[in-house]
Amino acid sequence: MRYSYIKPRAKTIFTKDIQLLFTFFGVTIFMLFSTYAFLLFRDYRFTQEMQDIKEQKNQLSINISKINKQIAVAQKQSLLAEKIFTKNSVLKDSINNLFDLVPSRITLSEAKIMQNGLILYGITPNKDVYNFMLQAPLRSIFHRTYSSFYPADNGWLRFVSTNYIDEEELSSEN
Amino acid sequence: MIGKFLETLYTKVFINIIVENSQTVVYVEECSRNEVLQSTHKVFETTSINSKMQDFIRAFFKQTPFYYVSILDKSSNQGAIPTCTVSEMGKYCDINSSEYICFSEHWAYYTSEYDLEAIKHEYRSIGLDFIFSPFALMATFFKDKIGSTLAMFVLVEDSYISFSIFDKSRLLYGEYLDMQHHKDDEEMLIDSSLEYEDDTSLGIDGIDLEDMSIEDDVVSFDDFADIEDLDSDNSMDEFSEIQEIHENIEHEVDISTEGFNEDYQRFSLIQSALKTFYKDPKYESQFIETIYIADGARVSSDLKSYLEEEMFLNVYVRKIDLGVVLCEMAKAEVNEI
Repeated sequence: MRYSYIKPRAKTIFTKDIQLLFTFFGVTIFMLFSTYAFLLFRDYRFTQEMQDIKEQKNQLSINISKINKQIAVAQKQSLLAEKIFTKNSVLKDSINNLFDLVPSRITLSEAKIMQNGLILYGITPNKDVYNFMLQAPLRSIFHRTYSSFYPADNGWLRFVSTNYIDEEELSSEN
Repeated sequence: MIGKFLETLYTKVFINIIVENSQTVVYVEECSRNEVLQSTHKVFETTSINSKMQDFIRAFFKQTPFYYVSILDKSSNQGAIPTCTVSEMGKYCDINSSEYICFSEHWAYYTSEYDLEAIKHEYRSIGLDFIFSPFALMATFFKDKIGSTLAMFVLVEDSYISFSIFDKSRLLYGEYLDMQHHKDDEEMLIDSSLEYEDDTSLGIDGIDLEDMSIEDDVVSFDDFADIEDLDSDNSMDEFSEIQEIHENIEHEVDISTEGFNEDYQRFSLIQSALKTFYKDPKYESQFIETIYIADGARVSSDLKSYLEEEMFLNVYVRKIDLGVVLCEMAKAEVNEI
């Protein structure tokens, strides 16, 4: 039965003090959890970055090995180029020397330079000019020298000089 | 469910305010479940709320969130009516401006909405949870008698009397009697008769100010010629002692006459209310032989003797602690929630 003219005010345990207390604790817990979440996130990001870095590292090491291989190839190529360059310069010098050997009275029409030999085609006024002025220096360079002549239309002689260096003799000389 | 459980963990504080003639009694009970842990009475020399009272009550608000402030309605526009049907209520009171509550199917009590708002406004600094009618309080107090007898039931407070007649739980008549108004009415009657006498005397004799001589007054001042004598200590002390004795005597006389007057006033109010009940055709008249008095104002035995000797009633007086009963009602209300 209701005796009172008015209804009582609603009572709650959540008074202003309690509300303040709960707000304070709520904010504190929220801050703690947000800090924890932030740290978790940072940790996750850190792990991810670490994985990325590891992958990059692997990639880089693969690249490094590739580049090393390329460097090795390049070095080999460089060595080869150097060799070829040396050979070419030697050859150039040899050709220069060869042309220096040829006297002005003899005209070369063709020269074949081989690994261990030299074939020269040309015109000489006579055999003596060839024998004294060209064959003599050739003989001093090559081990075997063969010459053959046949007459040209103008009365001069065409010649074919085949010169060989023997490998065996060359090694025994060294 | 959780709220109810948490509520049981807290202590409840019931603050009950009873406004008396010149003071306010605050009765506070602290309860844990059904046990009373502590109860306090404090009297404040004010009839409205003051800062001391506010501080005293507010101190309990800090103890627990479950505090209930109850007050006894003192509205002079309240009463009890022998019906609970809205259509019939209009016969007994102005139902449009009143707040009413049916105590049972047979009767209801009401009070002025305006006065309720005034009480709420007055105590807005602490707030109120319950405003109880003295009729509900009386019906609860006499519930063992109301159900079985035909009698008058009267709740006597300092300045008010809640008068009711019950016939086996059925209210026959209810009225809230204000001693202050009654007193004023009586005084006004007396004053008006005096005024009438004065008017007649003035009318017959009259006073002619021009006939009065100034010399007569001047002569009378000769008695104070030697004014230094009056300053002597002995004469002053004697004078003050005499004054005190006179005051004491007058004070005692005042108290005894006041008590006598109040009891007689109460008796006459009860008598007139009973007369109204007998004469007013609105009420179902029955002959009443018994009166139960709930004494909340420490009335003297005079009232009982008046009622017995003048009205030939069987008088039963029960002392009532208004604060405790108000608290019990508040507890019942809280348990109902």
